[in-house]
Amino acid sequence: MLETLDVPDPRLNRLLAALSTTEFESLEPHLEWVHLPLGEVLYEPGDVLAHVYFPIEGIISLLYVMEDGASAEISVVGNEGMIGVSLLMGGDSTSSRAVVQSTSRACRLSRQRIKAEFNRNGELRVLLLRYMQALITQMAQTAVCNRHHSIEQQFCRWLLLSLDRLPTNQLTMTQELIANMLGVRREGVTEAAGKLQRQGIIRNNRGQINVLDRPRLEALCCECYSVVKKETDRLLPHPAPNGA
Amino acid sequence: MRKRTDTGAPAALCSGMKSKRSPNQILATLSKVALRRVASVGETVDLVFGQVLYEQGKIERYVYFPMDAYLSQISSLDDKTRIEVGLIGAEGMVGSSSFFGVEIAPLYTVVQGSGTALRLDALRFVQGLARDPGFRAVMNRYLYVRLTQLGQMIVCVRFHTVEQRLARWLLLTRDRAGSDTFQLTHEYLALMLGVRRVGITQAATDFQKQKLIRYHRGSITILNGAELQAASCDCYAAAERIYEQHMN
Repeated sequence: MLETLDVPDPRLNRLLAALSTTEFESLEPHLEWVHLPLGEVLYEPGDVLAHVYFPIEGIISLLYVMEDGASAEISVVGNEGMIGVSLLMGGDSTSSRAVVQSTSRACRLSRQRIKAEFNRNGELRVLLLRYMQALITQMAQTAVCNRHHSIEQQFCRWLLLSLDRLPTNQLTMTQELIANMLGVRREGVTEAAGKLQRQGIIRNNRGQINVLDRPRLEALCCECYSVVKKETDRLLPHPAPNGA
Repeated sequence: MRKRTDTGAPAALCSGMKSKRSPNQILATLSKVALRRVASVGETVDLVFGQVLYEQGKIERYVYFPMDAYLSQISSLDDKTRIEVGLIGAEGMVGSSSFFGVEIAPLYTVVQGSGTALRLDALRFVQGLARDPGFRAVMNRYLYVRLTQLGQMIVCVRFHTVEQRLARWLLLTRDRAGSDTFQLTHEYLALMLGVRRVGITQAATDFQKQKLIRYHRGSITILNGAELQAASCDCYAAAERIYEQHMN
């Protein structure tokens, strides 16, 4: 839990920010702040979800885990989204693993409350349904990217999607974890990162990645990044003017 | 062959008893009243192989509940960079964008197996959902299943071999077609699976040598489904389990 002194505005989350004042105020008393430290697993496949989470910052990765344990990232969620859509689709349990990839703070809502809100047919329902469509688009694009693009391009896509959800150009992440996200061997990521570093696009240092030249990173990336970004922006409410 | 005399009658939409048509399993869960309402605003249409139902990024005007047709949902970046992310038959539906309050199709959708489907105007579909909580609930569950299967697809594409994925795809097509024999070209398969044609040819030749399938002039017959399933990744069975668990 966070200190009461330092309570941010839940509307740093883009979905919550898009609610009318009346709708937001009726929801606010039910929002509960949680701190999500790097590496924390919010849920595992099969877990019964007690809450949904609206992050105001940071990154949470959703991974699909197969029965033999192999896994790969199927989408990333930051302050544009919500974790736990399966609750809204009538499945109380989830089929993916949600891992905090970059320390985050989030507002959570209990299962009962989000279900009641969703079934009420109000503004939040409309927003969340559009968000699900954005997730579907992101996942479908990831499938194409996984099949057709080089590890280097996928690494660029992953970096850019992550950067968009972070306040700085710096990412705390080991290559091993990135390899897990992409579902590739670590050597593949090491090689891709080394190449980008030699070109002066990133600096890699002890689990920290600094992006030095974002335009060139975008130029090296496959189209998948811009397709996902454009679709997400089209489907979801726009960021607050303060850049949140 | 198919008769059109029973077109639009609820019995034809959800029960395979009277007609030779496969029932649509989503519509089959509706109450009689709800089904009659859906049938009265929808129409049974014949879909033919190769017919494009949605272009990615264009408007989805209709939703389709296949009866004996089956459809490929394809995610694509351009003509060459694409992959199939769903093969939808009588167990499902396509055109869920309107459910999410969006008009634009996220996936290119093309008829893979000719047959019939119930077609509803997207707006009518949304009105039907608003009126019937049972319809809403089954659609919720179905879309949850699809979201899960989509996640599984991403990981399958990443980790599994062309042989495993080809075997999976053949089994899935057999289920959707309701027949061990169906029409397919290697070229089409390569496009669907997002691999080079030579990879498909190699895998199909191996299967043929092992007498799992027979391939002749664009027609594939599955000779040994059990062995073919053993050759496929677990994703085939896992996707079925996901469906069974949430839909039945």
